[in-house]
Amino acid sequence: MLKVSGLNAGYGSVNILWDLEFEVKDGEIVAILGSNGAGKTTMVRAVTGMLKPSSGSVQFNGDELSGKNTRYILDAGIVQVPEGRQLFTEMTVLENLEMGAFNRKTKEHFRDNLKKAYGWFPRLEERAKQAAGTLSGGEQQMVAVARALIGEPRLLILDEPSLGLAPNIVDDILKVASDMADHDGISVLLVEQDITKALACADGGYVIENGKIVLHGTAKELSENEHVKKAYLGI
Amino acid sequence: MDKKKAVRDYHRNLAVTAGIILLIFIAIPIFVKSPYILNVFVLVFYMSTLSMAWNLLGGMTGQNSLGHAAYMGLGAYASCLLVVRTGINPWLSAVAGMVAVAVVAGVIFYPCFILRGPYFTLVSIAFGEAIRQFIINSEFFGRASGVGLPYGKDSWIDFRFGSKVPYYYVGLAMMILIYAFMKKIERSKIGYALKTIREDEDAAAAIGINPIKYKIMAVVISAMVAALVGFFYASYIRYIDPELMIQAKSTEAVLPAIVGGAAFVEGPIIGGLIMIPLSEFLRATYSAILPGINMLMYAVVLLVVIRFRPAGILGWYMNSRAKQFVDERILKKPSVEVIEEVEMAGGR
Repeated sequence: MLKVSGLNAGYGSVNILWDLEFEVKDGEIVAILGSNGAGKTTMVRAVTGMLKPSSGSVQFNGDELSGKNTRYILDAGIVQVPEGRQLFTEMTVLENLEMGAFNRKTKEHFRDNLKKAYGWFPRLEERAKQAAGTLSGGEQQMVAVARALIGEPRLLILDEPSLGLAPNIVDDILKVASDMADHDGISVLLVEQDITKALACADGGYVIENGKIVLHGTAKELSENEHVKKAYLGI
Repeated sequence: MDKKKAVRDYHRNLAVTAGIILLIFIAIPIFVKSPYILNVFVLVFYMSTLSMAWNLLGGMTGQNSLGHAAYMGLGAYASCLLVVRTGINPWLSAVAGMVAVAVVAGVIFYPCFILRGPYFTLVSIAFGEAIRQFIINSEFFGRASGVGLPYGKDSWIDFRFGSKVPYYYVGLAMMILIYAFMKKIERSKIGYALKTIREDEDAAAAIGINPIKYKIMAVVISAMVAALVGFFYASYIRYIDPELMIQAKSTEAVLPAIVGGAAFVEGPIIGGLIMIPLSEFLRATYSAILPGINMLMYAVVLLVVIRFRPAGILGWYMNSRAKQFVDERILKKPSVEVIEEVEMAGGR
């Protein structure tokens, strides 16, 4: 489904990502793991077209996306939940969700998709008329995920969903992500620094350090890996 | 069925109220003969329109411009020079002026929208001053002595009148049209895109909105409306000079929106209706006694509004008892749930 190869990207003359290679297959949850400053969010920005890669290819179902704009990539089916949620805090929950259907194709299915999103997160229906900024952190994250779902993703990118949230809420959100992968065939690219939680729900993962991929394998392989244990899990 | 009727009645009451307000404005020149008072109204109309133009950028998109006097002035110059030099019809020159200003604004501001932060505000100040200096030093633009429009017989074709009454009606129509236009934008896809940019540019980009494209759109539309105001101003005063573009004039374009409530399309009109008569009254009453006192009192009013009602008069009204009273007693507004229920069920 998504195949990234030889991806280089950075800001100005500073290169951040070095020859990134990874793959996400249909219905799979793939974790991109790494600590602060490893280049995870830069990778998300490069894949979603918010940052133009300096070289390399991003193939999505055979379509070359590298160098395309965000709008095109969204239409192709890659939707992200940006780091730190980034809601429109003065707009209502419903308006935030409506903004998820800003591109033309998904507008027709908005009612159905909204129903589906409320199915995943019933609490949002109760809060539909409330300004998004008045919600709790966990609820805001739900809005962010629901807003992405309204955009009909085939690949959902979750950028650090655990940031600043209580552990049980993170579990809820990850549960929804794995349910979506199982039932709707949506692939998920989970970008996380909470490695224990990420590996608990992912099928496989890649460890990224200083903008390079240093390890990859199945979730089981990674959680048993000595380097991962030592550097990230503190065992 | 009752619910349906309640919603229908509410919409009818709204329309009747709007109609009454409009009728009052239409009737004013019939009863008010003083040219001075009519002049204040004309000022309110075109300054509120200019402030609505500012509000599209400042209020809706969150891009604070301090150069709207320059767009207005440039629009005034473009249409005046066309009329004086080529003799084309003034109404046509208005369109030409709007297009010219749109092109200039688009070209100048494209580079500063690629950058984020206060660059736009800074460039808008510099832009205004640069244009003014350019005009002062350009023979073609008539240097510091400005450009005058020809006087003559009253004529709709040449948009030229001795009386203030026609300007009153054209100004009123302009304000209402631009209000309807801004309301349309606010409820459209563009309006939502602009609001998301105001709230969070990154998030807007993440959901596929190109912030640069929409900011350029906003600045171009805003500058065009300001140019239209410039045309109206020039036709009304019949003389323009570079003083039109001084920094203080750009600030004057911001005030009605801030006082009225920048988050609302109606804000600049409410603010204009309050601040401009106040400013004129203070000037007429006190400036002869103690020069400058009018500016001082104006500043005090402004400070009080910003200190105690930062969301503007409408921002205060929306959460006030007064609105409750108006909604319940005058408009007979049904509850939000009822309105939604009826609208969901397929209209009124």
